[in-house]
Amino acid sequence: MIVEVSHFLSIISTGLFFLVGCFSLTIKNNSYVTSLISRTYSHAFLFLFISFLIYVWLAATDNFSVQYIYNHSNSDLPVFYKISSIWSAHEGSMFLWIFFLSVWGFVFNIAIKNNQILKPKTIGIISLILVGFLLFLLITSNPFTTILPIAPLNGADINPVLQDPALAIHPPTLYLGYVGFVIPFACSIAFLINGDPDVKWEKLVRKWSVSAWVFLTVGITLGSWWAYYELGWGGYWFWDPVENVALMPWLAATALLHSLNVSIKSSHLRTWTILLSITVFSLSLFGAFIVRSGIIDSVHSFANDPQRGLYLLAFISVIVLSSLCLFISRFSIIKNLSNIKIFSKESFISINNIFFGTLTFSIMLGVVYPLIYEYLFDQKISVGAPFYNAIFIPIVILASLFLFFSIDSKWSRNIGLKIFTKPIGLSLLLSVSVTTIIFFYFEVSKIFILLSVFTGLLVIFRYLIEIWFSLFYKKYLNPFSAIAHLALGLLLVSISLNSLLSTERALNIKINEFENYKDLKIYFNDLRVNKGSNYDAIRAEFYIEDKKGNGFNLSPEKRRYFTRGQITTETAIHVTPIKDVYLTIGDQLDDGSWIVNIQINFLIRWIWFSAFLMAFAGIILISSRRRT
Amino acid sequence: MKKLLQLSIIILPISFFLIFFILLTEENQFPGADYREFDLPVFELKILNNDVSIANSDLEGDYVMNVWASWCITCRIEHPYLASLAKNGIPIIGINYKDEKIDALEWLSKYGNPYQLIVQDYKGTLALDMGVTGAPETFLVNKGKIVAHYEGEINDYVWNQVFDPIIQERGMFK
Repeated sequence: MIVEVSHFLSIISTGLFFLVGCFSLTIKNNSYVTSLISRTYSHAFLFLFISFLIYVWLAATDNFSVQYIYNHSNSDLPVFYKISSIWSAHEGSMFLWIFFLSVWGFVFNIAIKNNQILKPKTIGIISLILVGFLLFLLITSNPFTTILPIAPLNGADINPVLQDPALAIHPPTLYLGYVGFVIPFACSIAFLINGDPDVKWEKLVRKWSVSAWVFLTVGITLGSWWAYYELGWGGYWFWDPVENVALMPWLAATALLHSLNVSIKSSHLRTWTILLSITVFSLSLFGAFIVRSGIIDSVHSFANDPQRGLYLLAFISVIVLSSLCLFISRFSIIKNLSNIKIFSKESFISINNIFFGTLTFSIMLGVVYPLIYEYLFDQKISVGAPFYNAIFIPIVILASLFLFFSIDSKWSRNIGLKIFTKPIGLSLLLSVSVTTIIFFYFEVSKIFILLSVFTGLLVIFRYLIEIWFSLFYKKYLNPFSAIAHLALGLLLVSISLNSLLSTERALNIKINEFENYKDLKIYFNDLRVNKGSNYDAIRAEFYIEDKKGNGFNLSPEKRRYFTRGQITTETAIHVTPIKDVYLTIGDQLDDGSWIVNIQINFLIRWIWFSAFLMAFAGIILISSRRRT
Repeated sequence: MKKLLQLSIIILPISFFLIFFILLTEENQFPGADYREFDLPVFELKILNNDVSIANSDLEGDYVMNVWASWCITCRIEHPYLASLAKNGIPIIGINYKDEKIDALEWLSKYGNPYQLIVQDYKGTLALDMGVTGAPETFLVNKGKIVAHYEGEINDYVWNQVFDPIIQERGMFK
């Protein structure tokens, strides 16, 4: 019964959103219409909000008469995972996705005053997008389907790999990021429909875009961290298609943030900014399509239903193509006639846009090319790390070099940029010396690793010098930019050194014996059988000692979950700031020994730290009072 | 030139959409399915866990044969589905194809073992006789005869569309 209320409320909200969309785009706006639109949107949101709350409550209280909850939850689960089971599969994820979309619209609706000329159309566009996705939810993937007349007593459980705190919060964060870009998208479309080039929509959306970008950054990082300790493969990035479709909007969004800055400061690059805001949201939608249509095999593969795929594809192509047509038809009004001064900040950022565009496009190719190839030649090929490394490493190095030289450049001015200044010289000197030490100490033979360490260090030292100047000589420094770019430098250095130094090895060890690996001695002390709340586990106890005699215990596990019979490996990781010792246990061999996989991962924590630092920079910008 | 640039902004996404449309509508036709009937080839190979030899004549009844390898990414994707088949009482014989024994064992320990038994086909001779071109591939065997064959990932959809009609028709797995 209650589930029908929830279902009904979401249908009503669909109707109301449709009304909002129609009103705002057809009726000529005045203050009365605007406040009507704003209030109707809030009401529609309220209905959807209650509908979603009821659904959460149903999941938390084990209402297995709902088909979806029956399939993906279980009464043995802790409440936290009962709720997170909502986004463990297709229908619920889509529901959450739509709910978040409406939340962004709602927050925008209450934060922006009614006298903002673009507000009614922005709200209208968000509403129409909501209508499209709500119809998709209700028609092709209804989460409210019930099992009647007799509800099952217990649920079928969620995938045990997904029973993890990081994973429970990773999808919501990522979705918040994805759908957050609806604000810059809808604003730019409203701006284009409005057709008045003097309206400053860029200023309006800056903080919204940064907020969405922060969520996306954190979401991707959490996903990477989860994959590292849960999947037991030991890496932080696998160029998996689902990771790629999250990285594409992130790259485009990063370009958008830079481009927005220019458009706000000097109304240059406005075409870039609009095109990027359309692209970022399109890529977010594309991500939803790729994941939800099951068109690509990946570790994330979800429900496979061509019908859903076709609906999503049709809806997304309508959104994307109509906004691009609008963009082209209004091209003349947004075009800026004055040229960008060479060596000004604007010119550097437009080059940056091109770099990021290239990266995004090459990932797109990497995702799509195997599909086309398989269709044409009936053969599966995979585009993996070598392809992406070949493109990413040189472009990222180049982009960082440009960044390094752009720090002294000024807005709209050609002058003042010297190729050689004291800070540049000092950071060059420091980077060269540190890189040389690394080169000789680790006997690096790969030139690209050395180069990326070098450019990463350049960026770090250059910004540290800037921060020094700003602290002691009161030189102006944009804290957001400084921290975000410091994080970029740190990311470059830690990724390069990680790939250079990390090693792995599979060992065979018997109980009460030990093996040597590098400078570590690995003692296999004990093997126990443990019982968890919904699984059995074999727990191996290891003691690991380095040459100096410092030791620590590690206990990797293998678990068998009751309801699905699925077997998972639980890694054991010893964390230090410099390196992780990462242990997983495999099968027992015929001679009684066990396969133990050991990895030593250098600086892996620094990779995530850098990503979080970037997100932190975004938070600083959002919370700063200053207008720009 | 400018017009061309503007057009390309539209044409690029259109071409992507077209590609996806073709791919989505194509998927229904199961290019990997093959229903030709032939006898299970004669073989004598070692079992993965204990190196005991086994011949084709030792296998009885109805079963599914699944070609897999630890280097095969798609095998890892279809693996949970095989586990659910095994749980539903469908016997699955694994053919460990062009692999290393230690890798294969490690792989099974990581992801679980849904197979009733696994034969080591490290030279790919059996696979060659069966017409295998890569991994994963799955065969439906009815009383010593291969009756259906699928190239690529097995999932619920493929199983219901490709294998289930034949299983029903022949009354297998009863």
